[in-house]
Amino acid sequence: MFVKDLYAISPQSTFNLTFEAGEVLEIVADRYLSHEPNYLEFIPAGQLRRMGKAVRMGIGAGLPLIQRNEPLDGIIIGSANGGLEDCIKFLNQIVDYEEGVLTPTNFVQSTPNALAGQLAILSTNSGYNCTHTNGSLAFENALIDTQLQLSQSADSTAFLVGAVEEISEYNYNIDTHAGRYKGEATSNSSLLSSKTDGTICGEGATTFVLTNNSTDAYAEIVDVTQITCPTKEELTEMIHVFLQENNLNTEDIDTIVLGNNGDGRLDFWYNDVVTPLFPTAQTLHYKQFVGNYRTVSAFGLYFTVQHMRRLIANTSQKRPKNALIYNHFDGVRHGFILVKNSAES
Amino acid sequence: MSDTRGALELEFKNHLIKYLNLLEVKPEDINNEEPLFGGDLGLDSIDSVELIVLLDREYGIKIKNPTDGRQILVNVNTIVDYIEANRTK
Repeated sequence: MFVKDLYAISPQSTFNLTFEAGEVLEIVADRYLSHEPNYLEFIPAGQLRRMGKAVRMGIGAGLPLIQRNEPLDGIIIGSANGGLEDCIKFLNQIVDYEEGVLTPTNFVQSTPNALAGQLAILSTNSGYNCTHTNGSLAFENALIDTQLQLSQSADSTAFLVGAVEEISEYNYNIDTHAGRYKGEATSNSSLLSSKTDGTICGEGATTFVLTNNSTDAYAEIVDVTQITCPTKEELTEMIHVFLQENNLNTEDIDTIVLGNNGDGRLDFWYNDVVTPLFPTAQTLHYKQFVGNYRTVSAFGLYFTVQHMRRLIANTSQKRPKNALIYNHFDGVRHGFILVKNSAES
Repeated sequence: MSDTRGALELEFKNHLIKYLNLLEVKPEDINNEEPLFGGDLGLDSIDSVELIVLLDREYGIKIKNPTDGRQILVNVNTIVDYIEANRTK
């Protein structure tokens, strides 16, 4: 499947491409919040006022792509938590008001599929509409779904595919207690060199138009795979098998895009297990720009494709031809996305 | 208009803005006679449920009959009239 268009709302100014132009925002915080556009320019105020942040970012990232690429055949979203802030508000209301009269808006906005549903309503898209909520592999599963949908269609078919995650007070506190975050303000410029435990959480919405038509495509997503709870040996074996299935070997991969997040306990998966398998490949990192969240691999794909398009300024990196994007969450769920530069096909 | 009535109207408008998350609307922007539904505020049926919840939580008023609701939830004046006559807190 091919990437025809893409858009991101993230803690960097990706929505207006100033990030790509080389203007990287220096963030010193215990969480990296999204830098959002003025949604009122394209979302009616009457609808915007009901949207929680996840839905707002998702609509903001998805609607421009739908409008630029109509008609699309469906909408496929990956989100581990959806609008968790609204969900917790709703649950708290049940307790606070002793199961009395509850407002519907928080509940309606909090379900993970609220985003895909509202995108469909706003764009009057009545095609396939699905939301994957498989935790930190939700985006990879959305890609696999898209791959299957496109493989069943002989005609030119295109889907809006994306991922969204918001920072809610609830999940921030829970994840902090679980030891996932550093819990102190950390500069994004020094995040990856940090050796302390935990990372910095981020958020964002990243969307793509994926199609089975290679015309004018920016990149090709060759394959996607995932594995849960592997040993180091199992992960290594899986990478070799994955590449072989796609008629590649480790020497063919010129770029590895790794999800290092500055967590001294878990970055060994990137540094000690995967990197040695690709001694000739250049390495790209992206979480220093956006922080870590469960569907952040979507931003990894965005970052890779923008590199392939040579849109990233101030970089000494070579233009990737065959890139392997690798991300894991907690060392438990591991996802791989194999991307080929369409211009090099 | 008495000070008490004016204070209640202002309080209700602030609740209205908060419960319905009316972006960029200030209490003084809301005309007491302006229809809440079909007017410039652009409220819809979901907002009517939010208004019923507002009245219950803030003033202890339960609107159980939909016909009553249509007569009460017309504009700020009709709602504040109803609050003055029926509030339990």
